[in-house]
Amino acid sequence: MKNKRALAKALAAASALSVSAVSQAGSLTVATPQDPGSWDPIDTFLVNWASLATNVFDGLTYRGPDLELVPGLATRWEELDDGTRLRFELREGVTFHNGEPFDAEAVKFTFERLLGEEGAKGPQRSNYTAIESVEVIDDHTVDFHLSEPDPVLLTKLAGYGAMIVPPGYIQEHGDEHFNSNPVGTGPFKIVDYRPREDVRLEAFAEHWGGAPKLDSVTYRFISEPSTAVAELQSGRVDIVIPPTIPIGMIDTINNHDGIRVVSVPSPTVEAIRFNTQSGITADEKVRQAMIMAVDRQAIIDSILAGEGKVIASFQSAQSFGHDPELEPYPHDPERARQLLDEAGVEPGANVQIDVRGNDATFGEVAQVVAAYLQGVGINASIQPYETNVLLNDIIPAGRTGEMFQQKWGGWTFDYDNTAYLMYHTGERWNPYDSDEELDRMLNAQRGITDRAEREAMLQEIARYTQERALEMPLYSLNALYGVSDRVQGFEPAPDNRLRLTDVSVSE
Amino acid sequence: MLSLNFPSLRRFKNFEFILGILLVGGIAAAILLSGWLFPGGGSDINLAMRLLPPMAESAYPLGTDPLGRDLLARVVIGGEISLKVGVYSALGAVMIGIVMGLVSGYYGGIIDMLVMRFADVQLALPFILLAITFIAVIGGGLTNMIILLIISQWVQYARLVRGSVLSLKDREFILSAQAIGVRDVRILFQHLLPNLIGPVIVLMTLNVANNILLESSLTFLGLGVDPSVPSWGGMLAEGRTYLQTAWWVSVFPGLAILLTVLGLNLLGDWLRDTLDPTGRTSL
Repeated sequence: MKNKRALAKALAAASALSVSAVSQAGSLTVATPQDPGSWDPIDTFLVNWASLATNVFDGLTYRGPDLELVPGLATRWEELDDGTRLRFELREGVTFHNGEPFDAEAVKFTFERLLGEEGAKGPQRSNYTAIESVEVIDDHTVDFHLSEPDPVLLTKLAGYGAMIVPPGYIQEHGDEHFNSNPVGTGPFKIVDYRPREDVRLEAFAEHWGGAPKLDSVTYRFISEPSTAVAELQSGRVDIVIPPTIPIGMIDTINNHDGIRVVSVPSPTVEAIRFNTQSGITADEKVRQAMIMAVDRQAIIDSILAGEGKVIASFQSAQSFGHDPELEPYPHDPERARQLLDEAGVEPGANVQIDVRGNDATFGEVAQVVAAYLQGVGINASIQPYETNVLLNDIIPAGRTGEMFQQKWGGWTFDYDNTAYLMYHTGERWNPYDSDEELDRMLNAQRGITDRAEREAMLQEIARYTQERALEMPLYSLNALYGVSDRVQGFEPAPDNRLRLTDVSVSE
Repeated sequence: MLSLNFPSLRRFKNFEFILGILLVGGIAAAILLSGWLFPGGGSDINLAMRLLPPMAESAYPLGTDPLGRDLLARVVIGGEISLKVGVYSALGAVMIGIVMGLVSGYYGGIIDMLVMRFADVQLALPFILLAITFIAVIGGGLTNMIILLIISQWVQYARLVRGSVLSLKDREFILSAQAIGVRDVRILFQHLLPNLIGPVIVLMTLNVANNILLESSLTFLGLGVDPSVPSWGGMLAEGRTYLQTAWWVSVFPGLAILLTVLGLNLLGDWLRDTLDPTGRTSL
């Protein structure tokens, strides 16, 4: 008995020693709003998967906070055969966290898994279907054979489903095991995952980009914004990552000593889209009138505390396809009334706006929009839905009211990724509209390999959707990070994929 | 016939009763008069006046909400939705529950088994799960919310009534009624019902309070009514993010819920003591 106690004491002392050694170089705690449930890259499309997993996995290409595409696990690449073949030279001497070497076989395995049976179960495969096959040329060279040129593919290789996974490890332990014990080549490795509680990451000193400055990072899942902010205030959390902090809490954080809000323009855009098939919104003039009735700048200034920007089409200013020349519809209630009159809409006409019930900020925005519509004689009621119900049932089935909220992330910063899914006939997010001209342009731009030419085509699409007033574009949002002053070297990532390699903490 | 056992009038001086009736009566009166007190309806959005603290402007004694609307007007008008939901759903649930409970307890056998097993299934469903499913399929809104609450709560009454019927139906007055050939409907509603209505009424007062809280939590979760129509739960949710910078937005509707529920509970307590002088056992 006594011996046992002595042993326990010695162990405790030893572990205390190792703990103090760890805290010397620094550990960081991050609050993230959601547990993705599985860490397998092919299982998810959640931004909160990416915000953590970007530290654990690498892709062939890498895109940091400056949004430039730079080499990742591939050191260089070239387009061959009119863009239908991509050749990648792979980085040498890279190992996975479990010691397995990274080579051409790992790339081939990753993409065959993504495009095969296992990938078909998840939501990622459809982003990469342009890849027909992956051919191993030698240990550190691979060729991607494409069925058609995909202008966004190189960007897509920097994230989500294209993260390179270890073939030996997965074959040995199986997919189920990999979901909660993932292994990648990234700067941090996952050492402990407690579902719905937290994930502990330790630095992977052998990372090809150099060892991270931190020793360990803990991601805690805190879905309730006020809890996350309270933890930040009390110092138990160092960084709160988006999308957590509601606009209304910016002052709460900035008024508190030692913490601050850091914001950066993000690709996230919000719009109120129209049912173009039935109701008064089937009339283009009515849609235009509604857009003109709403003073979107006033909404941004007051409710969004300036953390946003008016958009003319459904994309942010950093998006490829954004046209600085394209002006948003002006705020012009006079003209709106006139248009409504021409369309034969009687004052007092009713419309319904479907919104996500748990989105407090948008709830306020929707009420202001309704008030502006009231100003031109349209009675708008607001119908809140549980978010998953709205996204999985109401919108795809075309069961919305005349108008509905659409929030869109667009992490590829390419308008194709938004426009195709929003406007092409038969797409999930396009339950009402079908426009041959639009379909033609959307298909055509995918085949264009010349960047400038494709950009012009995307801008043409944006202009076309604006003319038809397919949605009421509202604003692009800033990503809000809550950051403690003890965090050094923090650079906010516009796409939420915050890599912590260069971050350190001061005591 | 009514075997209510009113104790002496001293009970009326009971502190619980006075406070309860003052709270509930006062709040109900304010809500009834709200149309006259606040003709604007508290729905005028004024972004220049957002988040004014209480007493900062004489026009806004309780301050304004994030959209610059008068908080006092919204708290008073918001009570209408909350009370409507609370009272209507309790009434609906009582009516269904009484009929089901009477029939089930009196006839027994297969009917009893069907009703009670159905009730068990109903009780096994978590309320929030039921609510999310219901609203996804049928849609939200005031009427649907009331229907949802009725569906989820009639069971309590049915079980209570059935229990009482089981203990009453072998008593002499029922047996004699049966013996002289009184029709079943008459036995159920004229002989059994008055003898078991006491606990049901008490349960109902508590239920109204509970329903107001449920309405609040449903609206808080965003499953309830149009957010531009003020309701206490909705206002509470709206103010949540401003708690540290503009406490008044959620504190006042929260206070309104607290006082109403307190008042109703006090009345329920008093009713329980009054209707059940033998002790605090039946609930």
